[in-house]
Amino acid sequence: MKNIYEVRASNKIKSFVVVVFFFLFVSITVWVLSQAIGLYMGYEPGGLGYVGLALIISGISSFISYWYSDKIVLSISGARVANSYEDRLFTSVVDNLSIGAGISKPKLYVIEDSAPNAFATGRDPKHAVVCVTTGLLQKMNRSELEGVIAHELTHIINFDIRLMSVVSVMVGLVALLGDWFFRVRFFGGGRSRDREDNQLGTIMMVLGIIFAIVSPIIATLIQLAISRRREFMADAGGVTLTRHPQGLISALKKISADHEPLEAANKATAHLYIANPFKDKVGGTVGWFSKLFNTHPLIEERIKTLQKMA
Amino acid sequence: MNFTIILIILLVSILLWVVSTYNFFVSTKARIKASIQEIGNQLKRQADLIPNLESSTKGYLKHEKGIFEMLTMARKQIAGAIKSGDLAQMTAASTTLSDVLPRLSIAVEDNPELKADTVVAKLMEELRDTSDKVMYARRLLIDLSADYNVKRVSVPSSFVASLFGFSEMKGLETAEVGEHTVVSEAEMKSPKVNL
Repeated sequence: MKNIYEVRASNKIKSFVVVVFFFLFVSITVWVLSQAIGLYMGYEPGGLGYVGLALIISGISSFISYWYSDKIVLSISGARVANSYEDRLFTSVVDNLSIGAGISKPKLYVIEDSAPNAFATGRDPKHAVVCVTTGLLQKMNRSELEGVIAHELTHIINFDIRLMSVVSVMVGLVALLGDWFFRVRFFGGGRSRDREDNQLGTIMMVLGIIFAIVSPIIATLIQLAISRRREFMADAGGVTLTRHPQGLISALKKISADHEPLEAANKATAHLYIANPFKDKVGGTVGWFSKLFNTHPLIEERIKTLQKMA
Repeated sequence: MNFTIILIILLVSILLWVVSTYNFFVSTKARIKASIQEIGNQLKRQADLIPNLESSTKGYLKHEKGIFEMLTMARKQIAGAIKSGDLAQMTAASTTLSDVLPRLSIAVEDNPELKADTVVAKLMEELRDTSDKVMYARRLLIDLSADYNVKRVSVPSSFVASLFGFSEMKGLETAEVGEHTVVSEAEMKSPKVNL
């Protein structure tokens, strides 16, 4: 039995470790691949020019989606602005919890969809957006809705949207470099054949091939692990705000009992939601391997962790 | 040469840490002050809101209560008249009843299911919302002062706190001992609701 503060502290440490491990892994991969590309192209100073280029390409797309995250996501999912007449419960719950969290009130949107779900986005607490579906508002009572909203507000307070944007830039960087490595191997080679006699050069080549194949997958897996870790953190933080784990537990139960997939969600926005919007297509039998590819921890696991706090 | 560079980097990072810790204490102090004001703000909202809600709900209930009172009165009159067996009294009673009935039917037509329950439910919802707001405002004060006080006493930030003499924040002032820290025999039983 751990109290909320211990859970929060251990979550913070675990999340920190995963993030540090991720950046370490990305740095090593980038170094190996740029060395290997450099060897092929006969480009002496470590091929850092390629890394810069890859970083810029990967960065631009993610930066746009990060800076305009609120607008892009909202236009994709077709949300409307919430108002205090139609969505009285929603607006008053968010008002109250923002008072408790000591943040300015986020912008509120509603998606007309009967599948119960919610997400938060925006680059910092001042540009934050909380969006819920009409299904969530209809199916939840007040304390369940408070649990869900507190979870989303914790994502905002923890700057999770910023973290996940940085992480996706890095994953894009690794994927681009791996791709380029194969391109120069087939098309750009020949200029520096003499280097391959060198034993170190051969080792770099082999390492380069291995990293180019494996690292995009590993980077994605770590990205998903970070995403799941942040979900646990948001659960714990939400409970610190409401001091009512039962509300979130019963909300998660209701959400998992509902098997309707959310039409407005797509793969790019899936990690933002409170629960996986596609619902789990594979059963528990596939085990840990399928868990590796989930943006969210299994709902049963989240409930178990929450019950320990209760 | 190398050693001095390392020393300088070390000193600068320690200095930066001291500055950021100092800033944590002063900014949290300011936020605690603001959170106290927020409690006042919410209490004021509550004080303005509740009497108004109360009177408007009462007004609505009175409207419905009036009809029921009239009906009861007419019914009593009739029962009394029947008991007495006096024809004049019976006639008077039935006139009262026939006076009330059209008014009642108008009221029922206006509100197919007499709306008192939704009005009262709305009042309850508002009451819960406003007391939630005050509760969350207090929660912020409690959380901020807890963060502040934990940082103040835990190593290594406690050195900065004692260096600049940051005193403990009271948070929500609550008596440390008293009835709320003791559970009495009566409170051990599960409560019964009597309506």
